[in-house]
Amino acid sequence: MSKPAAAALGIDIGSTTCKAVAIDARGTVILRMLEPTDPLIAPQAARMIQALRAQAGDVTLPLGATGYGRRHVEDARVITEITCHARGAYHHLGRAGVLVDIGGQDTKVIFIGADGTVEDFHMNDKCAAGTGRFLEVILNRLKVPLADVGLKVARAREAVAVSSMCTVFAESEVVSLVAQGVAVEDIVKGLLQSLASRVAGLIGRIPPGAGISMSGGVALNPAMVEALAKKTGMAVTVMPDPQYLGALGAALSVLPGSR
Amino acid sequence: MITRRVQFEVMGRLVGPALMELDAYKTQRKRRKRTPKPGPFGPGLKSVDELKKIMTMIYLQGRYADGAVPVAWVTSGFPSEFLRMLGYYIIYPENHAALCGARHMTPKISEAAENQGYSMDLCSYARTDIGNVLKNNTPVGRLPKPDLIACCTNICQTVLYWYRALAAHLEVPLVLVDTPFMFGDNKEHHVQYVAEQLEECIATAEKVAGRKMDKSRMGHMMEMALQGSDLWGQCLEIARAKPSPWTGFDTFFHIAPIVSIRGTETCNRYYRGLKAELEQRVAQGVGGIKDERHRLLWDNLPIWFDIRNLATMFAERGFNFVCATYSNAWAEAGRLISPEDPILSAAKAYIYVYLNRDLNNRLRTMKELAGDYGVDGAVLHSDRSCKPYSVGQIDVKRRFAEDLGLKALVLEADHNDQRLYAREQAETRLHAFMESFGE
Amino acid sequence: MRRAYLTREKEAHGRTVMAVLPIAYPKEILTAMNILAVEVWGPPGLPASEEASRIQAYVCPVVRNAMAFLAPGVPGIDGVLFPHTCDSIQGLATVLPDLAGFPLPVANFVHPKGERRKSNETYLKQEFADLAAQLARITGKPLDPEALKGAIALHREIDRLRTSLMARRAFSPLPDREFWGVLRLGEYLWPEDYLGKLKELESGLASQAVQTGVPVMVTGIVPEPMGIYEAINAAGAFVAACDYAAIGRRVADPSAGTAPDPFDALVSRYFALPPCPTRTSLMGPRMDYLERLYAANRCRGLIVHTVKFCEPELFDLPHIRQRFARINAPVLTMEGELEPVLSGQATTRIEAFVEMTTSKRSNP
Repeated sequence: MSKPAAAALGIDIGSTTCKAVAIDARGTVILRMLEPTDPLIAPQAARMIQALRAQAGDVTLPLGATGYGRRHVEDARVITEITCHARGAYHHLGRAGVLVDIGGQDTKVIFIGADGTVEDFHMNDKCAAGTGRFLEVILNRLKVPLADVGLKVARAREAVAVSSMCTVFAESEVVSLVAQGVAVEDIVKGLLQSLASRVAGLIGRIPPGAGISMSGGVALNPAMVEALAKKTGMAVTVMPDPQYLGALGAALSVLPGSR
Repeated sequence: MITRRVQFEVMGRLVGPALMELDAYKTQRKRRKRTPKPGPFGPGLKSVDELKKIMTMIYLQGRYADGAVPVAWVTSGFPSEFLRMLGYYIIYPENHAALCGARHMTPKISEAAENQGYSMDLCSYARTDIGNVLKNNTPVGRLPKPDLIACCTNICQTVLYWYRALAAHLEVPLVLVDTPFMFGDNKEHHVQYVAEQLEECIATAEKVAGRKMDKSRMGHMMEMALQGSDLWGQCLEIARAKPSPWTGFDTFFHIAPIVSIRGTETCNRYYRGLKAELEQRVAQGVGGIKDERHRLLWDNLPIWFDIRNLATMFAERGFNFVCATYSNAWAEAGRLISPEDPILSAAKAYIYVYLNRDLNNRLRTMKELAGDYGVDGAVLHSDRSCKPYSVGQIDVKRRFAEDLGLKALVLEADHNDQRLYAREQAETRLHAFMESFGE
Repeated sequence: MRRAYLTREKEAHGRTVMAVLPIAYPKEILTAMNILAVEVWGPPGLPASEEASRIQAYVCPVVRNAMAFLAPGVPGIDGVLFPHTCDSIQGLATVLPDLAGFPLPVANFVHPKGERRKSNETYLKQEFADLAAQLARITGKPLDPEALKGAIALHREIDRLRTSLMARRAFSPLPDREFWGVLRLGEYLWPEDYLGKLKELESGLASQAVQTGVPVMVTGIVPEPMGIYEAINAAGAFVAACDYAAIGRRVADPSAGTAPDPFDALVSRYFALPPCPTRTSLMGPRMDYLERLYAANRCRGLIVHTVKFCEPELFDLPHIRQRFARINAPVLTMEGELEPVLSGQATTRIEAFVEMTTSKRSNP
């Protein structure tokens, strides 16, 4: 079976992780790489791209760069992660929709039109609450590994709400709840609901007929997906390879023949 | 229209009062069956039953008001007497929002507003109100749709931004009485401006109500309002007794009639009853809390979603809030009302509302209260939602403490939205404050 | 540079220098009384002193920074003027003189709120006279009505030129930072000097549109950091229409102000200002105005650049979004804190927004 030829590269340099992909002419991801983002972005990006080019066997492949560190990539077309996520999502969906990307440090809600363009976007990029960081901090405090979240939620009797809007204060609130004897499972369920609430608030009004999809690391957590579905009252799908969606969109942007 | 009017009157005169009586009876039976829990409070005020009846009736009858009588939504500082004279059924969105806040419902109700794009940094009263307009979620069933909304900027400028947004959502006329802020003393052209606006507002209200005001009755209405304000003030002053027969937290609830039904016989009768009860308690040496060891002043709005808890926390350690600038506000401005000169005196009174005065003036009032009520300290609620009340508190606290040699604490919170309250941190501060009084 | 200018103005022209807080005030009266207004929009950046801590952190940065800047004393200024813009500025206007021991004289301009009506026309006329009296106590000289007439003519001329310049922004080859930067010079230049700068700007206009980027409109309080203009240009757009409170929202319709009585003229000019939630009470007319301004300048996107905790702006935001969604115009909201440098996140948003406008078909 012959290996499909790589047609474009995309790199998404996030503040937590750096993702790179090679795609074929139809936009299918054929190679992927993920590393924690190094403080020295430029050499890391260069190394990852070089590795992909070597594996793909083509050093001339066009390169799209997105994410917080996008300007540190040499010889790349620079596009924002909003547009890239929308392109990646549209590639999978083929129709209009609402993409919710809950990243480590920010959360994006992107309204994608029927033609794949970005109609509108809302972002929470000033505050940890409502991002993956919120979950990380609290779960860490509760000593619950991410992998066990689904199990905990399943065993919860009821969700115990954390009322604080602020991650820092929510942490002390949670400590207080545990000390009072509230079950960890119930707190975890409440946490997911809290995060879902904040995300739903960021979404605001959902256009009629649109569906919700998720991307980003938090989308890998089925309990979170369910919490968002319950909160919005809509079916929520998860993008394939959710963490690579931005890099895919960056690569699609430089695919010969694209806009 | 006629059927609606009949429903409204029947609810107001027959069904409503009957329901209230039944409810009161049930409550009293429950109370008699319950063994009194030991707690730091004195016996509950009996007047509370009457208060509950009055306030519940307002919302109950209110459900049938639209289509029966003209309905107005007004700000708490608006000269509502003039609307009452035209037969308007008056709803106070702030009172309604406080009710929602006290039941911890603000986050849920505000969600509809936030989803529409209203920032969480906006006043939590406004978000509760707009949230409820966008998606009816009120614990009182429903609020009657207004024919007119009326806004007076004497409590803040934010009500104007809020009511202008509300007018757009509800598509009703907005009547504005703009009260220029008092930097220093009252200026004559400021008072004239307010008096002219009152005339303008009456004209609009008449048009919307489809009837003319009987101006010969204005004097009587002002007399009633003056009496009510005076009676409320007298009830507050009884707290000068040691021990005070009630708590500052009590006053936050009993203030409802002077705000919501000012100018009515029901309001005045209520305060006469309350006054009698309070005087009796003083005569018997009954305190609002069992062991009053320290007396405090509360500044700014109440923290509606945490009153019971805060009151208990303070009472357990012998602290009673014997006065509050918030409760006092409805007693002091009323004194300027003169039935002989209704419009002009109303203009003076409504400009003179506490929050419409500069900080020199307000600090002076605070210090007078502290002296009159014999307080040992103060808690200044730094209310995130209320800029006019909160901006300046850091200096006010410092001056209050320095000038009077008393202890004071600034407490960061919000009056209506529990999401904006860092409970652990706040309670630590309060405990430390109380501990600083020694034993 | 600004300090040197102020010193020269004082020494050479005997001007009284007053710090003025945002937003609306009758500059004509100050000009007529030889008072140079130095507007304090922040100042931007980190608070200049510890005095900011007198104001809670949940109050807007304009007020916190102004407290930090003014409270320690500012060499060269003779007093402060506070318009009654909002609750927070109201608070600052009393904390500073009453409790923070500020030694200089202060004046208050308590402008009316609500749509134009007989009561507030009468009131405003008297408030102008009262303000002149307050200022006379600071300068030591009363207002001369003839001087006021002259000042009104001068400020009408300035507004005529500003209106014309803003309508032809696309004809200027200058990048946004420079173009709008000239318009902002009025925040501290003596009006005649300001008029000179505006004329220079006008002389640089081409005979047709030369800006090639995506035309956008911006509304908000103040363009700080000014780097926002650079970010907009770098992303491929330019600011074709302005509703910043510091700039476009203060340009009165130049046809107003012809009444023979100068105070009547001032009243007309005040009510000829574009709608602003700190002055007017109806939502509809403001939305109509924004929609018209957007269409007149053929804009393809709207950026709402609020300052954190700014109530008047934030209450209008959902209504702006709704109106602009109706005309299918993309809207970007950005919340600033008068930060010294535009953050990476803000720059990304602007870029994404411009990317969006280039692919979206909007129907004005």
